[in-house]
Amino acid sequence: MFLRIVKDSFARQARRKLLTAVALALGTAVATATLSVALDVGDRLGREFRSLGANLLVTPQADTLPLDIGGVDYRPVDAGAYLQDADLGKLKTIFWRNNIIGFAPFLDVPVALRPANTSAAAPPGVAAPPAASSLSPITSPSGGTPAGRATLIGTWYNHAVQVPNGGGIFRTGLSATDPWWHVEGSWFADDAAECVVGASLARRAGIAIGQTLQVNAGGLTLPLRVTGIVTTGGQEDDAVVAPLEIAQRLSDHPGQYRRLLVSALTKPEDAFSQHDPSAMTPADYDRWYCSPYISSISRQMQEQFPAVEVRPIRQIAEGEGRILTRVSALMWLVTLAALLAAAVAVAATAGTTVLERKSEIGLMKALGASRLLIGAFFLGEQWLLALLGGAAGYAAGIGLAHLLGQQVFGVSPQWRPILLPVVLGMAAAVATLGSLVPLRGMVQLDPAPVLRGE
Amino acid sequence: MTEPVKDLVVQAELVSKTFGTLRALDRVSFQVVAGEWIAIMGPSGSGKTTLINILGGLDRPTSGRAIVDGVDVGTLGERELTRYRADKVGFVFQQFHLVPYLSAVENVMLAQYFHSVADEAEAVRALQRVGLGDRLVHLPSQLSGGEQQRVALARALINHPKLILADEPTGNLDQANEDLVLDLLRDLHSAGHTILLVTHSLAIGRLADRRIELAHGRLAQIIFNVDENHKAVQEHS
Ligand SMILES: Nc1ncnc2c1ncn2[C@@H]1O[C@H](COP(=O)(O)OP(=O)(O)O)[C@@H](O)[C@H]1O
Ligand SMILES: [Mg+2]
Repeated sequence: MFLRIVKDSFARQARRKLLTAVALALGTAVATATLSVALDVGDRLGREFRSLGANLLVTPQADTLPLDIGGVDYRPVDAGAYLQDADLGKLKTIFWRNNIIGFAPFLDVPVALRPANTSAAAPPGVAAPPAASSLSPITSPSGGTPAGRATLIGTWYNHAVQVPNGGGIFRTGLSATDPWWHVEGSWFADDAAECVVGASLARRAGIAIGQTLQVNAGGLTLPLRVTGIVTTGGQEDDAVVAPLEIAQRLSDHPGQYRRLLVSALTKPEDAFSQHDPSAMTPADYDRWYCSPYISSISRQMQEQFPAVEVRPIRQIAEGEGRILTRVSALMWLVTLAALLAAAVAVAATAGTTVLERKSEIGLMKALGASRLLIGAFFLGEQWLLALLGGAAGYAAGIGLAHLLGQQVFGVSPQWRPILLPVVLGMAAAVATLGSLVPLRGMVQLDPAPVLRGE
Repeated sequence: MTEPVKDLVVQAELVSKTFGTLRALDRVSFQVVAGEWIAIMGPSGSGKTTLINILGGLDRPTSGRAIVDGVDVGTLGERELTRYRADKVGFVFQQFHLVPYLSAVENVMLAQYFHSVADEAEAVRALQRVGLGDRLVHLPSQLSGGEQQRVALARALINHPKLILADEPTGNLDQANEDLVLDLLRDLHSAGHTILLVTHSLAIGRLADRRIELAHGRLAQIIFNVDENHKAVQEHS
């Protein structure tokens, strides 16, 4: 009988109900859109901002002060300490291993370059035997002009790292830490005698894709085929970027590297993360250790590599945290405002409805309807409207989220069906909130004056 | 204090009701025995509706006691009052007061639903008894005044109330429909129902067992229609 009454009553005052449903639909549409984006925003923005660079720098603890000019390490290759690239798999065994989205080891070697004689093409394929070319002069009498000195940055582009304890293979390198680096042509293969050349250097020295460079350091000269021209806006534009193994051979430091950049998904720094972990209570320490703050991830990395120093690249990390927090806060604020506006619209129409229905409410009370039932009849209708308006709002909101995602972040947010019940619940809550005051008047209505026709 | 007597359906004891400074009812006392048909008469504004509302649990007396079927209505809490309205009384109003968006049968079922559970078959039978078997799914707007009032009567009876309170039920009806409704009331009376009927019409008042006359909120006189020649009159100050 309850449903029958609600159903019969629902058909009335179609225009006002449409208004209520539209208000609820608009509110939930905005809520759906912002929630979809906000739920994605953590991950999405995290990745967006990550493209400003890795957020952790790992260096040997015993390292000498780097002679770092314009980001290039000018120390002699023999000075300072080195780290072993064979240990890198351990990074994927720490507590927050899944938050380590990539890392790349670096070894910088000052080199002398000259373009190879086009006629005397370097042997293609992997690592030419050092003996074959190590005696070659730095400047070829027959070849082109010497390009002079440059830094060869040895690193990985997409290298397979064996994770210990059966952790499988993890592929990482610049492709994971710096995916935005723009390469014309293609990247080098990590196991080939190839390189990419910084755009400025290439322009200055007239180096083109497909050419082979004779690269010399110490007594060793290696031919490297140029597979691409890289533009980063940083030090790499003036350098040669080559597989780590090449740099290790040129500098005679096999299996070693000098600094490691790590890109980790981290929780924005907050008040709690600023505390000194050594002064925390055990419970707080656990909480800190089990939150993916930069500081706790750093600590865990140091536990794996006792001889290293892990430094967050602070400016980026903090800026990232602030922006993330602000964007999320803004999203929630917009959601709240939209829902509140919907509640106000619902309240306005509900107030009129109650005025119009006074006589039937009085009658029902005279016939022995409880306050609960009177309220339930009205809320039943409001919830039905919430269901319809909420469903329409959800559909519109998904569309809006795609638009918003495309416009703001360049990617559509993930479609989350779980949002539908959440949004319907919100619509019902808004409809209830908007109905509270009219509902109160309805429930407390005195039947006698109404039935007299006052 | 009078203790509830078993076959007394209504005991009004010095019932007063004031609205601000206005005394709508002023120390009204009377009793109604089960099965009696009482006409409440008096000029407009004399307190008839106020009296009916108090007995029906829609209003509370300012002082005095209104006991219906052993229950002191004025002392009931909100929840008990709701139960009381659903269980003990059946209302019929001058303006019919049907729910406009419910069909005739649904209007009757509504009272069943508030009382216990809706039983469509029983509601249909109740409408057939008042001669509306062919108007079941009509909306109030599709029914004549007389038909609407008969729906209201079926609704008032559906839960077998102890007391039927009818406030000028024929006030908005033409002669033919008035006769129909009065016939139904007569049937109810002979079936043993207790009826309080407010009316302006002496002709209708004479159909009752007794007439209670109000004036300015006071009980002016109670007239026994059966031996009106004797003018068995209770004067009341
Ligand atoms: N809610 C109220 N507030 C103020 N005065 C009222 C109210 N209800 C009734 N009255 C007054 O009480 C008096 C009796 O009213 P009522 O019982 O409706 O009379 P009747 O039904 O005999 O015409 C009238 O003067 C009326 O104006
Ligand atoms: Mg009246």
